[in-house]
Amino acid sequence: MTLCRAALLFSGFLPLLPAAAAPVDYATQIQPILQKHCYQCHGPKAAIHGLRLDRRAAAFKGGESGVAAILPRQSGQSLLYRYISGLDRSLKMPPSGTGLVPAEIQLVQTWIDEGADWPGDMGEIVDEKFVRGQTHWAFQLRHPIAVPAVKDRAWVKNPIDAFVLAKLEAKGWRPAPPASPRQLLRRAWLDLTGLPPTLLEQSAATSLDAAIDDLLRRPAYAERWARHWLDVVRYGESNGYERDGHKPQVWKFRDYVIQSFEQDKPFNRFIIEQLAGDELDEPTPATLIASGYHRLGPWDDEPSDPPTDRYDQLDDMLATTSQSFLGLTLACARCHNHKFEPLTAADYYSMIAILQGLERPRNGRTELDRPIGTLAELERQQARDARIAPLTAAIAKLKEPFKTKEKNWEDAIPAETKRQVTSIELQIAETKRETPDLPRGYFMEELKPNPPPAHVLLRGKPGALGQEVAPAIPAILSKPEAPAFLPPARTSRRRLTLANWIAEDRNPLTARVIVNRVWMWHFGEGLVRTPSDFGLMGQRPTHPELLDWLANWLVDNGWSLKKLHRLILSSNTWRMSKQAVPEYLAQDPENRLFWRAPYKRLEAEAIRDSILAVSGRLNPAMYGPSVFPAVQPQALEGSSDPDKIWKASSEEDASRRSIYVFVKRSLILPMLEMLDLCDTARSSAQRMTTSVPTQALTLFNGDFVNQQARYLAARLRAEAGPDRRAQVTLAYRLAFARPAEPAELRETLTFLEKEEASVREADPGNATLRAMEQLARVIFNMNEFVYVD
Amino acid sequence: MSTNRRELLWNGASGFAGLAVMDLLSRTGAFAAEAKSPLAAKVAHFAAKAKRCVFLFMNGAPSQIDTFDHKPALARFDGSAYKGPLTVGSNGRAVGYLMKSPFEFRKHGQSGLEISSLFPHTSKFSDDLCVIRSMYTDTAAHASGCLQMNTGNVLIGKPCMGTWMSYGLGTENENLPSFVVMTDPRGGPISGASNWTAGYMPAAYQGTLFRATGAPLLDLSTPAGATSQTQRHALDLLNSLNQRHASARGGDGDLAARIHSYELAYRMQTAAADTVDLARESPQTLEMYGVHNKLTADFGKKCLITRRLLERGVRFVQLYSGGGHIEDTWDGHNDCITNHTLHAGETDQPIAALLTDLKRTGLWDDTLVIWGGEFGRTPTSEGVGKPGRDHNWHGFSMWLAGAGVKGGQAVGLTDEIGFEAIEDRCHVSDLHATVLHLMGLDHTRLTYFYQGMNQRLTGVRGNVVKKVLA
Repeated sequence: MTLCRAALLFSGFLPLLPAAAAPVDYATQIQPILQKHCYQCHGPKAAIHGLRLDRRAAAFKGGESGVAAILPRQSGQSLLYRYISGLDRSLKMPPSGTGLVPAEIQLVQTWIDEGADWPGDMGEIVDEKFVRGQTHWAFQLRHPIAVPAVKDRAWVKNPIDAFVLAKLEAKGWRPAPPASPRQLLRRAWLDLTGLPPTLLEQSAATSLDAAIDDLLRRPAYAERWARHWLDVVRYGESNGYERDGHKPQVWKFRDYVIQSFEQDKPFNRFIIEQLAGDELDEPTPATLIASGYHRLGPWDDEPSDPPTDRYDQLDDMLATTSQSFLGLTLACARCHNHKFEPLTAADYYSMIAILQGLERPRNGRTELDRPIGTLAELERQQARDARIAPLTAAIAKLKEPFKTKEKNWEDAIPAETKRQVTSIELQIAETKRETPDLPRGYFMEELKPNPPPAHVLLRGKPGALGQEVAPAIPAILSKPEAPAFLPPARTSRRRLTLANWIAEDRNPLTARVIVNRVWMWHFGEGLVRTPSDFGLMGQRPTHPELLDWLANWLVDNGWSLKKLHRLILSSNTWRMSKQAVPEYLAQDPENRLFWRAPYKRLEAEAIRDSILAVSGRLNPAMYGPSVFPAVQPQALEGSSDPDKIWKASSEEDASRRSIYVFVKRSLILPMLEMLDLCDTARSSAQRMTTSVPTQALTLFNGDFVNQQARYLAARLRAEAGPDRRAQVTLAYRLAFARPAEPAELRETLTFLEKEEASVREADPGNATLRAMEQLARVIFNMNEFVYVD
Repeated sequence: MSTNRRELLWNGASGFAGLAVMDLLSRTGAFAAEAKSPLAAKVAHFAAKAKRCVFLFMNGAPSQIDTFDHKPALARFDGSAYKGPLTVGSNGRAVGYLMKSPFEFRKHGQSGLEISSLFPHTSKFSDDLCVIRSMYTDTAAHASGCLQMNTGNVLIGKPCMGTWMSYGLGTENENLPSFVVMTDPRGGPISGASNWTAGYMPAAYQGTLFRATGAPLLDLSTPAGATSQTQRHALDLLNSLNQRHASARGGDGDLAARIHSYELAYRMQTAAADTVDLARESPQTLEMYGVHNKLTADFGKKCLITRRLLERGVRFVQLYSGGGHIEDTWDGHNDCITNHTLHAGETDQPIAALLTDLKRTGLWDDTLVIWGGEFGRTPTSEGVGKPGRDHNWHGFSMWLAGAGVKGGQAVGLTDEIGFEAIEDRCHVSDLHATVLHLMGLDHTRLTYFYQGMNQRLTGVRGNVVKKVLA
C-alpha cells in the first residue's frame, strides 16, 4: 500500500496549489512548526539519530538514515514529509503526542514542493567521522617505504627485522634470542603444514631454508592454509536452520581453495575468481566453482519474511566481501549511516546494487547445482538439452493416452507404442553419449545483464524504498579513483568491476589486509590486531611502516603468498624464541612490539591432525566429498533428528585431515567445536583460544584421543621394540621433535612402572601396552603438544 | 592482586595446579599477561535480586488460548470462519474455523489469575506467576522462532541468552559449566546447537548439554580401561610435565590457564556426577517431582537436577519440553487436545515441584524462572473437524516467576479471540531486556564489539517491561 502511494508521488505528480497564492514562507510559517514539533529531539539540544532540523544544511542532508530529510520539490521523497504525514506506515513523527494538524502538514508539503526555500545559510554541520575518514591511514594510497636504520645491523636478516628492531631499539629493548634449530624445525612444520615433522624429516632436514622451500611445495601446506581462508569466507557445507540442507557439490569450492594455495595463485587473481569467476570473458570450471564464494553462507529455506530474507542473503555476501577483502564493516550501514565509520547507507546500497543480479538456483526449498564447463561446453550442453526436450515431450505424448491412476499403468501400454518410446529413448541416449553430462558445481548465477534498480531501504526495511542508487564503491574509498563500471555483457559485470578494483595493485586496502592476515596466521596476532576491521574503529597498526612495506613487497612480487611466507620465515623476527623477559612482559604483555615469538595454541584442526600424524593413522588422501568422523550418540541428543543427522564414515575415511571433516552448521564435530573452531555463520577473522574444563574433558577422556593413544602405544612398541626407554624416546621425538630430557625420562618411566604394576593383575599379558597407552594419552594433552615453541 | 589471581590461588591452592604455578607466575610477573578466565564471576551493572535463571522452554509452541489466555468470547465464534486481517496457515497448511478452547479455565489463588485445567499443579502458584499475555515475535517458523527466542535474532550464529549471562556475570562455580542445557529424550529443538551456541563469542560461553541419565556431560567419564587411580596418576603426570614445560619458558598466562583447566576438569568429573546423583534426595522429594511416574519421570528428574545445578551456582539452566518434530513437541497441528494434554501432563507436576523446592531451599529469592515456547497458536483449527492449531506469532503467553518478579498478575492483552497482542505488546526483545534487567544487567550496556558494532542480545530493540518488576 505504501508502495503504491509512494509510486504516485514519485511519478512527478505535484499537488495543485491555490492560484496566485503567495509562496510559503520559511521564517514565519515553517520554522515555527519545526520548532514546536521537532526541535525537542532534532534541534540544538539533541540530534537523535543524527538529525537536526534547525539548520538548513543538516536538514537537507538528513540523519543517520543517509537519506535527505528535505529534498526540494519532492515532498514524496523527503523523509520529513513522509514521516509527519504518515505516508510511511512504519514510522510516524513525532512519535508521541498529537502530531501535526493537517493544515501544518499541508504547509510543509507545499513549502517543499515549492522548492523548500530556506533563506540564510545557517552553517554546515560537519560530521567528524567523514573528516577523519579523509585522512584515515588505511584509506590512503601506499607510498614506497624506506627501511629504517638500526644499530644492531647483524640481527637484520631481511627488512622485516629492521622494522621490528627499530621499534625495540627505540625502547632500549633487545629481541629474544633465536629459538633452537629443533624448535624452529617443529615450528616451521606446524606453521606451514599443520603437522609435526616425521622422524625421517627430522633427521633429513639439513637447513631450515631448504626445509621451508620443501614444505611450501607440499599439498599439506595448501591444506593448512586453505583452512585459514575458509574461515574468512564463512565456509560451511550445510545451510543451517530447520532442514540444515547440505549444499550440493560445495566441497569443490574447498578443493579449489586448496589447489589455489598449492599453485600459489596470485592473490589478486584469487580475489577476482571468487568475486566474479562467472563473469570473466572466458570462465572455466575452476572459476565457476570459485564464484561459489557468494553462496557459502547459511540460508533459511523457509523464511518468515521473503523480501527481508532476500536482503539478508545480499547482506551476507556484502558483509563477507567487505570484511574479507577490504577489512571494512560495511554491513553496519544497512539500516542507517554507519555509526562509527565514514560509510553511508547509500554506500551500502550502492554495493548491494553490485550483487543484486545474483540468484540462488533452487526448486522451492531444494537447492540446485549447475553444470560447469567453458562457455562452449555449456552452450553445447544447452543445445543438446534443447534437442532432447522435444524428444522427452514426444515420449510423454505417446504415453499420455494410456495414463491411469494405477501404479503399474505403464505395463498396459501397447507393444507398438512401447517400441516407439524405446526408439526415442535410444535417440536420447545417443544424444547424451555424443555430448555427455558436464560435471556440476555450487554457485549463484546471474542470468540477466541488467539487474533491477537498487534503492536505499529506509531503516533497512525492504518495503520502504528511498532514493535509487547506481552500483558504486563507497565514496570514501575512491582512491586512486572510483572504478568505471564495465558495460553489461552476458551478465551485468558489476562484480567483475568491483573485483578488478579490489584486486588492483594500488587499492589502498587489499594488499594491506592480506599481508596482515598472513602475518597473523604466522604469528597469532596481526600488525593490525583487528584483521577484518581497518576502519576508524579498528586498531591502528603496531608497525605501520612494516605493514605498508610488506604490502608493497607483495604487489611487487606478483601477489605471491608463497614468496611472502618465505620472506617472513627467513626473518630473524620469526625465528626468535618465545622466552619471556619479565620487564618486557610487564610493560608489553600483549607483545605488541614483537619482542619475542608469541605463544598461541594450535587451532582445532592442527591439534586433531597432529594427533593422527603422531599415532600413525593419518590418512593423507586429498580432495573430494567431506567425511563424517564418529560422534557419540550423546552428542547427537541435542538435534531434532538425532538418528539421521550424522552418518559416520569408516574410520579410515574419518582419519583424513580435519579440513575434510563435514562442516554441518547445526552440528559441528564436538572436538573441533570445543577447541574453538570459528563461527561458521559469518566471516571469521581470527580463531579464539579458550581454556575451559569441558575442553580438557574432551581431550583427556574423549574417545578420539584415547583411541589414538592406543594406536600410538602400539606404534611405539612396533617401531621401538619392547624397551620402555626406547619407546618413550621415540614418543618424544614423534610428538615434540626432540629427545626426552633425563628428568622427563625418569618421571615418565616411573609412571610407566607404577601403571604397569597396577594393571598387571587384571591384564598381565598387556600391562606394558596399557601403561604406554596412558602415557600416550598424557602426551597428546601436554601443553607442549599444542603450544608450539 | 587481581581477581583472577585470587581465583587461581583459591581454586589452585587445594589442587595440583596450586602453588608451583602461583610462585612461577609471581616471579615472572606473568600476571600482567595472564589469560583471564572468561568465566570468572563479574559484577552486575546494578544490584538485582536474581543471580541465576532457569528457562523452561516449551518447544514447539504451546497454545496461549488453551493455557494462560482465557478467551470466553471465542466460544461465541466457535465454528465460524476467521475474517480478520491476519494471515493464518503457515507453510500452506489448511485453515479451519475458529475453535474455542477445549480446556476449562478457572481463577486461582488470591490473585484470581486464570489458568486452564492443563496445569492443576502449576496453578497452585498462580500468586507467584507473572503471565505476559501480549508476547509477539517476528516469525512463524520453528527454526527461526526458536533462534529468536534464544538469541534475539531469526538468523543463525548469534549468541544465546545463557551466553550473554555467562559473559556478563561469569559463573559462581567453575567446577560446573555456567550455562547448562537439557533436551527432551525425543530429540533437541529444531536447529539443534544453534540454540545454545556462543555465536561470535568465545566457546567458553556456549551452552553445555547435560544429560539426566548416564554420564551427564560429554566425555565426563574416565575412559574405558582406566581406573580412577590411573586417571589421577595420568593427570598428575600431565601436570608435572606441564609445570616443567612452563617454568622452563619463563611462565605464560595461557599455559597456566590451560594447566588450571585440567584440574577443573578433574573436579568437574566429581561435581557433575554428584549433581545427577539423586540417591540422597528423600523419597518425598522424588515423589514430589514425579520421578517414579512414567509420564513425569524424565522431566521430573531434570527439574530436580535443575534445582541441584542452581544450588551449585550454575548461572543459566535451560530445560526443553518436547523434541524432534510435530507431535513429539508442543506443535499441535493435528490435535491440540491430545498434544497439550501429553506435554502439560509430563511437565506440570515437575515444574510445580521445582517451584516448591526453590521456595523450600531459599533459592526462590535469587532465582528467575521463565516458562514459554517460541510462539503461540492460532485461535482457528487447522482444517475442518481437526482440533489442531497452527503457528501464531502475533500473540502468545509466557510466564515469569521468582526473584524480582511481581507475581499474581497478567500483563498485556490479546484481542478478544486471543490472536494478536494489542495492549502492552511485548516483543521477544522486550522479554530479553526484562530478563537481563532482572539479572542486574542493562541490555543496552551488555555489549560485545564484533564486526564494527556493539552487538546486543536485543539488537536495536528492547524495552524493559516495568509492569513485570516487583
